[in-house]
Amino acid sequence: MTSSRPRPPFDPELSAVLAVLGDQLPDLTPETIRSFRAQAVNPMPLTEQLLGEHGVTRRDLAVPGFLGDDMLMTVLARADHIGSGPAIYHLHGGGMIAGDRLLGLAPMLPWIVEHDAVLVSVEYRLAPEFPDPYPVEDCYAGLLWIAANARQLGLDPDRIVVAGASAGGGLAAGIALLARDRGGPPLAGQLLLCPMLDDRDQSVSTEQYDTGTWVRAHNRVGWQALLGERRGTGTVSPYAAPARETDLTGLPPAFIDCGSAELFRDEAVGYASGLWAAGVQCELHVWAGGFHGFDLLAPHTAVSQAAIAARDSWVTRHLAT
Amino acid sequence: MQELLGRLTALDPEASEALKVVTYFDALVAAGVGLDALLRAAAALSGTVAGAERRGRVSRFDPSGKRCETTAGTCRSPERSGAHSRVWLERDGTLHANDEMVVERLALAVELLEAKRGRDGSLDLVLDHATPHGERTAALARLRINPGAQIRVIATRLEDRIEGAASTVVATRYGMLRATLDLTGQTPVGARAGLGTWTRADRAPESWEGAVVAQRLTSRADPVVDSTTLGAMLGLALSYDPEAPHPDVTALAQLDDRAREVLLALVECESMRAASTRLGMHHSSIQARHDALTRELGYDPRTPIGRMRYVAAALLLRLTVPLDPTD
Repeated sequence: MTSSRPRPPFDPELSAVLAVLGDQLPDLTPETIRSFRAQAVNPMPLTEQLLGEHGVTRRDLAVPGFLGDDMLMTVLARADHIGSGPAIYHLHGGGMIAGDRLLGLAPMLPWIVEHDAVLVSVEYRLAPEFPDPYPVEDCYAGLLWIAANARQLGLDPDRIVVAGASAGGGLAAGIALLARDRGGPPLAGQLLLCPMLDDRDQSVSTEQYDTGTWVRAHNRVGWQALLGERRGTGTVSPYAAPARETDLTGLPPAFIDCGSAELFRDEAVGYASGLWAAGVQCELHVWAGGFHGFDLLAPHTAVSQAAIAARDSWVTRHLAT
Repeated sequence: MQELLGRLTALDPEASEALKVVTYFDALVAAGVGLDALLRAAAALSGTVAGAERRGRVSRFDPSGKRCETTAGTCRSPERSGAHSRVWLERDGTLHANDEMVVERLALAVELLEAKRGRDGSLDLVLDHATPHGERTAALARLRINPGAQIRVIATRLEDRIEGAASTVVATRYGMLRATLDLTGQTPVGARAGLGTWTRADRAPESWEGAVVAQRLTSRADPVVDSTTLGAMLGLALSYDPEAPHPDVTALAQLDDRAREVLLALVECESMRAASTRLGMHHSSIQARHDALTRELGYDPRTPIGRMRYVAAALLLRLTVPLDPTD
């Protein structure tokens, strides 16, 4: 199935990576969610060796999630961490239906090292076994817990940045809305990497990209698993699909990025425009020819390096002491 | 930094690493990237620094894709020298399994960059179906070839050069291939060549298409294949899209080696008795295998039409499965 719409092509270096991967990316339908989870490989695993090279230690805790149920949390900090550092509260990607709390952490290790930051990543429960509001409420419960236990974790509760890629970016935007509306911890920033924000499946970029890594059919499976019959209807909460929020005032400063050649492009750009309109500071980067998750799958390419450098710069401006 | 090749292999453990290296560089060349991107690819694939020296300028990149500034304490191993350039990996100690392959493909790709610089693209225009007839005639004139002259095109792997004849590199549905124009029939053909049909020079794209198919059908045992020997099967092969394999091809691809051996005996032997003798199997077991294969394939391979379907599917399967670059 090929889209008949014209669309920006993939970056030449990135298209070569796609050529090697070919059609080997795991198939995803409502029936294959389980095998998709098993096949989806973390392209940059968080190994002991990698932690050692960065001088970062790892702790795993069980903390209360939504409705008080146990939930795992990984805490990463410099081995010589002292006092209260800035915090990165990380929510992993995986389309709301896959992934684990270690996915996407490897590229963030330099932030821990350079800013003596504490990174916390949470094992929120996945759809369809745990549909909305479990994922976003688990993430919010984790945020409340780290704010309440800041001293024990060695982090400054006034300097928490929420961060996530893909579904994790959508969840980060969702808990930023929750924190504002429920008077939760004041956040220092929201880092939304190629975020999954909109269940409505109507943007131009959604129609353009039925090819690449995360394609329209996959996206429908993810949202359907999360929202069931409510997907695309007027009953979806903005905490689950932040693109639906009409009032974006009073939110923390945002960093948003995406590829020009991915289906989340238009919802990422739209969310940035909404934040600006509401007077919220936002930095937006749309990387030419990037497919979804290009920086994680092909970090050596020129466009990935530019994306990573831009992100590092924003993090430095928001975390540095 | 984990080697990109390792990560790609984790995502797709079935295709060989050598094939991934070839596919990756082919795609980069087809996309028209420059030297830096080629070096980033070599460094990322191998997990070590990759470098090149072109007209006295050295460029080096590390596996994370960053340019290396210092040159202190570098060892160039393995290394390849071309007419205008040298390329290398900086592997300390024992080479890894794919280092030689990575450097070889890097060297070819860098050489192509150089070749492109000095080339007027006439042969590319001659071979491209999309070139209007007038432009093709003009391109032939620049190559000093009469449009009515009889020619054929030879397809070889990039590394198999044919001396003394006009040659270029073309992106095909089967990856990058070298095209060489044969005007005499006396052109010495190296290893693994596909020969196109003889045709008028201004219809060269037809010859090239046949040559590409023929090249795909070469093997170590059968290194040179002439597309004219395929007869009517050439038409079938040309109209086939390996990206969308026919169900007969998919069914055949799913059989294991033993089942394929049994199937071949069933197709080739006059009688079931002869097939059971050839395979050393009892008559009743071969009958059972015959029934099972008929179910799996969706046709009986011992009927005249079934044989035909098998032969066609076997040919198309060879066009579908990528060639192992180490073969």
